[in-house]
Amino acid sequence: MRAEPIAIDAAGVATPIGQDVESLWSSLCTGASGVTQIERFPVDDLRVGRGGEVKKLSRIKTWGGVADCRATRLLICAADDLGAQSDLRAADPARVAVVVGTALGGVEEGERALAGDRRRRRLAGALYDAPAHGLARWLGCRGPVITVSTACASGATAIAVGADLLRAGEADLVVAGGYDVLCRFVMRGFDALRALTRDEVRPFDRRRSGLLLGEAAALVALRRLPDASQERLGTLLGYGSASDASHISAPDPEGRGLERAVRAALRQAGVAPDAIDFVSAHGTATPLNDPIECAVLARVLGERRRAVPVNSIKANLGHTMGAAAVLEAIMCLLASRHGLIPPTLNLDEPDPACDLDFVRGAARPARPRVSLSTSLGFGGCNGALVLEGAV
Amino acid sequence: MKGPALHALGFLSAWGAGVGVLPADARLAAAGRPVLSLGRPERDGERFRRTTREGLLALAAVESALEDGGAHRLAIAGDRTALVYVTAAAYAPSNQRFIEGRGGSIRFAETAPAVVPAEVAIELHLSGPYAIFLGGPPATLRGIWHAAGLIADGECDRALVLGVEIFEECEGLYARSGRLCRRPLVEAAACLWLEAGQGTLSLESGRDGAGETGTDLRRRLGETFCCEPLAALDSWRRMDRAGTLNLTGRWRGETARLVWTDPMPRPLLAATRREEP
Repeated sequence: MRAEPIAIDAAGVATPIGQDVESLWSSLCTGASGVTQIERFPVDDLRVGRGGEVKKLSRIKTWGGVADCRATRLLICAADDLGAQSDLRAADPARVAVVVGTALGGVEEGERALAGDRRRRRLAGALYDAPAHGLARWLGCRGPVITVSTACASGATAIAVGADLLRAGEADLVVAGGYDVLCRFVMRGFDALRALTRDEVRPFDRRRSGLLLGEAAALVALRRLPDASQERLGTLLGYGSASDASHISAPDPEGRGLERAVRAALRQAGVAPDAIDFVSAHGTATPLNDPIECAVLARVLGERRRAVPVNSIKANLGHTMGAAAVLEAIMCLLASRHGLIPPTLNLDEPDPACDLDFVRGAARPARPRVSLSTSLGFGGCNGALVLEGAV
Repeated sequence: MKGPALHALGFLSAWGAGVGVLPADARLAAAGRPVLSLGRPERDGERFRRTTREGLLALAAVESALEDGGAHRLAIAGDRTALVYVTAAAYAPSNQRFIEGRGGSIRFAETAPAVVPAEVAIELHLSGPYAIFLGGPPATLRGIWHAAGLIADGECDRALVLGVEIFEECEGLYARSGRLCRRPLVEAAACLWLEAGQGTLSLESGRDGAGETGTDLRRRLGETFCCEPLAALDSWRRMDRAGTLNLTGRWRGETARLVWTDPMPRPLLAATRREEP
């Protein structure tokens, strides 16, 4: 069933390559990388100690009494940027909702609590839904506060759930998005899984050897179309999800779950595959993910597989987990606005098994109207967004 | 929104199966124990040797719902069944285990909340739409509402809303939480099976806490975080009445209220009545 399109009015970000949307866009288009040696916590005992770390958070006029939780503060930095683009305070607070996706929530607070910090707020902050409530308090919103966690597809789920709130008339403005922080917990985890590369992140390159993590928060202001501003970023047309039901941590070898999610998103958008102008791929640069994802995209795009530009921005930012799908959605809409598709950084020798039209080397002049953004995560979570730029 | 039908419900808690076994007062019945455990379900098969306790309890809850609905597992297999998972804290034991350095790299994957429904999806071949909501009772009501939307929009034929909360492994942490948590903490796992229905469903959120329901149930049940609304559903259907169901949940100052007309179609209601003593 075709769903009511929802306006994406504006965006706000806090990332390693820019703490406002325009800086992020400029960095993506010029091929900047935010991957550096991690400095905020010890990484000496890890195989890989690099990631997309935000070195210094933007100065916020008032933190509004929020706890010194990095996840919450990243969200607030993104919300501050969003507030500069869109009047978030104009809506009735009771009609403003917050929906955020995360893979890790406030797990760093849990680390601190287990390390002996006995303050009760550490315990309350360790629950994964805590940062969303911190953001809601900072925004002064009194509507629903929702946390979703579909691993690295969480941001896509959050945007979709936010859109559902508007369609159902439960809210007039939804601040939706995703976040995750770099901390010892997640670095140790991915290091133990041998998923992190000692090389550069090289999505779809035949030399790719793994991902690097990043931290970020990304938010969008969602409104019903009649309530949206004239200068809106774009429109959410559709969303789809599906479970792989195949493995706890590895994607389905044939990408069946991802394909179901993509086709469900197209169905909800009322859009045929031949209307897709651009694909923002998950593109983690792991040996396993990239060819599976490319095979799915080739099946969906059919004869247009070499005619539709595809990119991945994970080499610029690292894999920002809960924020990734939101950043990629924002990038899709900015590509429409600016008539330019950012390149896939470090993609020098495309893998023959990944036979698509990758944007690489330099940003490509093009003004995609309809974009597809794909996401995959632990537990066989797959999500897809279909977006329309305001062109 | 068009309301779904409550097809079946499995509710397991440290008190036993269903709400019929709840004590009159959980605090008295707990006799000073701060946490009441559901234990680790026994399952055959190599695949389950290292499965987390929360994953095994999730499976047990779904199987309890299948039994309640008199259905074989094949009845829900495939891409026409949606799976919506809710929890406030079931990931905490896996997090603690990994932070403390127990177990190998596989233990990191288990820290993702998404891994619990994944265990269910893999075992029962559920490959349809999914979502995961984190939080207390309002998250569960949100999960029911989301599942109903998937059915109403034709994205699936049926939906399972699965809630799991476990506390035993983190008892030390909860002991430090003071008044942040009510006592006793009672482990629970529940699964609600929804099908297309004829009623209506609406969900409201607010900050006032007005009209809160279920305080008597909570006194009997203890603190189960997200599983409380599923216990309330089980309780409601055992009260032998049709009509409109109001479910309210509070968490972190937010109140969510689900109004669900005709959740039990007549044939289902009649079947439930026949089973009651």
